[in-house]
Amino acid sequence: MRRITIPIGPQHPLLKEPVSFLLDVEGEQVLDSVLRLGYVHRGIERLAQERSYVQIVHLVERVCGICSHVHTTTYCKAVESLMGLEVPERGVYLRALLCELERIHSHMLWLGVLAMNMGFDTVFMYAWRDREIVLDMMEDLSGGRVSHAVNVIGGVRIDLDEEQRKDMLARLAQLEQQVLRAKNVVEHERSLRARTEGIGILTPEQAKQYCVVGPVARASGLDMDLRRDMPHLPYSELDFEVITHDAGDVWARTLVRVLETVESVHLCRQILENLPDGPVSVRAKRRAPEGEAITRTEAPRGEVIYYVRGDGSESPARLKIRTPTLTTLITLPEQLRNVAVADVSVVLSGVDLCIACADR
Amino acid sequence: MAFGDVGAALVAWFLYPGFLFLFACAWAFEWFDRLTIARSQARVGPPWFQPLADLIKLLAKEDLMPTGTKEVLAAGLPMLALASSLTAVLYVPIAGRAALSFEGDLIVVLFLLSLPALCYFLAGRVTGGVYSLLGGNRSLLQYFSYEVPFMIALSGPAILGGSWSIAQIAQHQDATGWGLLVQPLGFLLAIIGLIGKLKRDPLDIPKAKSEMVAGSLTEYSGRKLALWHLAMNVQAVVGVFLLVNAFMGGQSFHQPLLNGVGFALRSLLIVFALSGSSVLYARLRIDQLANLGWRVLAPLGLLQILVILGIGR
Repeated sequence: MRRITIPIGPQHPLLKEPVSFLLDVEGEQVLDSVLRLGYVHRGIERLAQERSYVQIVHLVERVCGICSHVHTTTYCKAVESLMGLEVPERGVYLRALLCELERIHSHMLWLGVLAMNMGFDTVFMYAWRDREIVLDMMEDLSGGRVSHAVNVIGGVRIDLDEEQRKDMLARLAQLEQQVLRAKNVVEHERSLRARTEGIGILTPEQAKQYCVVGPVARASGLDMDLRRDMPHLPYSELDFEVITHDAGDVWARTLVRVLETVESVHLCRQILENLPDGPVSVRAKRRAPEGEAITRTEAPRGEVIYYVRGDGSESPARLKIRTPTLTTLITLPEQLRNVAVADVSVVLSGVDLCIACADR
Repeated sequence: MAFGDVGAALVAWFLYPGFLFLFACAWAFEWFDRLTIARSQARVGPPWFQPLADLIKLLAKEDLMPTGTKEVLAAGLPMLALASSLTAVLYVPIAGRAALSFEGDLIVVLFLLSLPALCYFLAGRVTGGVYSLLGGNRSLLQYFSYEVPFMIALSGPAILGGSWSIAQIAQHQDATGWGLLVQPLGFLLAIIGLIGKLKRDPLDIPKAKSEMVAGSLTEYSGRKLALWHLAMNVQAVVGVFLLVNAFMGGQSFHQPLLNGVGFALRSLLIVFALSGSSVLYARLRIDQLANLGWRVLAPLGLLQILVILGIGR
């Protein structure tokens, strides 16, 4: 049979962001693939060297269109440790609250995208409808649905009053019901399972070898989650479970993400119920001293790492961002070997790529 | 030829059961289908004139083809697909009356309903481009998977009715009751076959958006694409009418108007079944469909035939 090359991207209905895969196809079988990146490179790290520490908060918020808050959180933590600032507990809790809301938002968005890419529009519609609940919550909290601009160096710029807190708890209950329904579908719907089971398998060894992080690693049986492994407030005081699965296929990733969403709802509830009193931020200086800081945070897609080097001026000498998508991207040629053309969409959706994060 | 004859022929050609009636049915079905799907997916759905508006919009759009495409062939294929569906409807009784009928017209209709599949495959070939090519190949693979169960399923009513004429199969059910009651399995297979034929969710494998962009029709635009959509919609109408006649009886009342309403309701019931399967299932992979077609559906169809033969004796 003749071998043909099918281009997936940089523009393709399957992709929400520009990235390119050249699939080497024989019949319906993908033999090999070539990955090309860099279509949304914006030079954010270089730009950061020209901006002041305060301005960079808004710059790194635009690294990702979905997990924007995690990026600013990680950046602020790095600068705070450089400046030796201690964020008040209430500020830490509110940061974590938004991180968890963002995780719910990201996972539900992803479930919808996966469902749509396998031609299951119903799940897509419901997942995105229910995601509105969490978007509304974030909007009420911060004024923004996706970009919140909540973090400042030294804490957060928002606070909750008692009424808002009760209102959010009520909405969380509603959200939990919907997430549990999605979980039911993922666990039992047969056509969904038929399309995702045994597809895009990463063994634990492969996952380790490629340094895969986040839900993809957890679905391959690697028990890792920074929220638990690197004890810090508020997670060290909250009760939650790290979800893992042994199968390593797209179905396992789906299940892990959906169950994680349930856990995140629980976490949000615990945060809201145990919210400490006090101020939400401390005042920060404009300049950071010489030195360097590395911080890591568990983003919806896995570990985000920020490295900041200060030289005593108003802007950093170097800012380095590493996002979880980079690690999953390099596993894709492996996952795309000897799969059917129809499974390409499932594999690519299954790992939850964030190209904007990876390209920066 | 007398003037009256010409007038009657013109009416039959353009109004009923010709173009206008069929197009109206096609748009009504499409709207009903889209509305049903939208409502089950917690959406509002389109207004009633949306299918017509879509057509007009497409007609007004620029018609572009990649260089190297054989324009005549590319334009001729949707016409042929549309023409074959329009011809097929002549033999399918609508509310108990068929424009034409002879012994064996079921076979002709099945053949005419298969022609669009061939046109679709060729469309992928003549327009070039990898998505079109692969979509076309897939449509052919899909054709071989659903067509056999579909034909087996439709031979059930023929055996039961003792005739290969659709009109007589429908009439036979006046006395015995809906064929659906005796052959639920056959009806199910026919529905699945029809979904495959129309390339609807969850069997929209040849035009799967996330893989094939739009399959064979990727390079089509403007008027030619509008013609394709029309051809597909008319094919859906003929398919639905065929199933109503084969499985849900013919003329139940002696009042033409009541008959018309009854026929419309039964047709909508089948459209509803099609919409329901779109809502409920994820798209199958082509190998999964081939497995389903040959390992499950075809044997089930044969089983149904055996049951019918047993009843017949």
